Amino acid sequence: MKTAYYVSMHAEVLGNPVIPSTESIIDASRTPILLLKASKAGIPTLPYLMTSSVKQIISQFAFPVVVFAVNPFSYEGYRIAGNRSALYRAVKSLSMNYKFAVCVQPLKGEMLSFKSIFGKCEQTAEVAKISEKTYETFKIPMCKLHVQTIEGKAYLCGLQPVRIEEIFPCDLERVSTEVFRMSNKGEHLVG
Amino acid sequence: MARIACFVERYNFSDLRETRALENFRRTAEEKGHAFNFMFREGISEIPKYDAIFIRATTDPLFTAYVVSKTAWELGLKVVDDPESIQICGNKIHLYDLFEKHNIPTIPTVFLNKNEMHHKRFMEIFKTLGKPVVVKAPYTSFSKYVEKVACETSFRDVSKRFFRKSDLVAVQTFMPTSFDWRVGVLNREVLYVCKYMMPKGRWKHGAKRRGKPTFVWGRTFSLRRENAPAALKELALNACKVIGNGLYGVDIKEANGKYVVVEVNDNPSIYSGYEDCRNKDLYGKIIDYLVD
Repeated sequence: MKTAYYVSMHAEVLGNPVIPSTESIIDASRTPILLLKASKAGIPTLPYLMTSSVKQIISQFAFPVVVFAVNPFSYEGYRIAGNRSALYRAVKSLSMNYKFAVCVQPLKGEMLSFKSIFGKCEQTAEVAKISEKTYETFKIPMCKLHVQTIEGKAYLCGLQPVRIEEIFPCDLERVSTEVFRMSNKGEHLVG
Repeated sequence: MARIACFVERYNFSDLRETRALENFRRTAEEKGHAFNFMFREGISEIPKYDAIFIRATTDPLFTAYVVSKTAWELGLKVVDDPESIQICGNKIHLYDLFEKHNIPTIPTVFLNKNEMHHKRFMEIFKTLGKPVVVKAPYTSFSKYVEKVACETSFRDVSKRFFRKSDLVAVQTFMPTSFDWRVGVLNREVLYVCKYMMPKGRWKHGAKRRGKPTFVWGRTFSLRRENAPAALKELALNACKVIGNGLYGVDIKEANGKYVVVEVNDNPSIYSGYEDCRNKDLYGKIIDYLVD
């Protein structure tokens, strides 16, 4: 866990309001929990399967599929598998040699990955709505969202933290604007 | 009749004592008229078919067991261990922070940040806690990632290793005892009491054999919960109160007639002939809690 997690944790122990909460930090980066909580909150999602068995994936979904890691060590977002051998490779790699499970979703459209800062992003209205709702649900100020667009409709597929080298000065500008706006509204948060 | 799923991984069946304990859970549940099925990773999608989930695979907020727990919780199922307990007990920093807030007596502890790896800080810690000290990674379980250091060089080496997965580690006073108390608690009631002995010449219950990948474990003595010291049971219950109502294994040290909490573990080990030796009703109590 990184220092930021401990900042949230300590604030929670002291009873101070904080975003993101430790629960959100953990849950949002575990794709099956993200999708379950998101669908409960009314965010469009696709069916998913959590397993480390390739046979089970093949029996449930037709190719191509999107594979997300569900382990604390893999950073790379997702892999697309278009056939059986690609699926074996993806599962072997993302499950760290079958030690962990992976989360698989069908690929019916196009994958789109973008940064979401306080729920705001520079995408189409449909995708921006997903970004906003995801922020409302998890309150993660800055993250990378993976969304699938199928015939103009958008579905949330995954979320991952933004690497420090992926943060540009314009993003920091947006963060400070948002924090300024929040503090003007009287929302005092640690984060 | 309730349907209970017991989430396990293959390694849960590698130790005969644990396999027997799992069979005891199954038999007890069936005797009480409930269905009890072992659920492996491939069966996670079947969680909604059950009424309760009992997790026996190693829990950690970053592992599959947490996803199982959280999924069951979100679907409104009774689950042991619940996700909040996994989150707190799976991070010792969180645990000690809560103990400090609620004045639970623990071994003197300080936290060391990744950016504090310098001579002055190490010396400060030795001055505060004495020498040697015990360095503990937040994600420790089964006595792993807990090491004793007596000089700055080894302190630096161990911390550096532990900092690979966490930006903070806990450092505690070294308190050698011949055994640690283990108090099993379920729903704010004492379930069982054991003494976890240290293997000869070692200072923790599970120690790595020198030059080998295997572990040597100390013996376990079980005693009737009625016969355990009242102050010990009270401390264990108080320590669990700040975490939740689930199933916990509280490690307590006794020094100079005083009890101090070492840590609270979710998903405590339950081995046939060990933890259940003098408290055979623990299986029934856990099943009853799951279907309550």
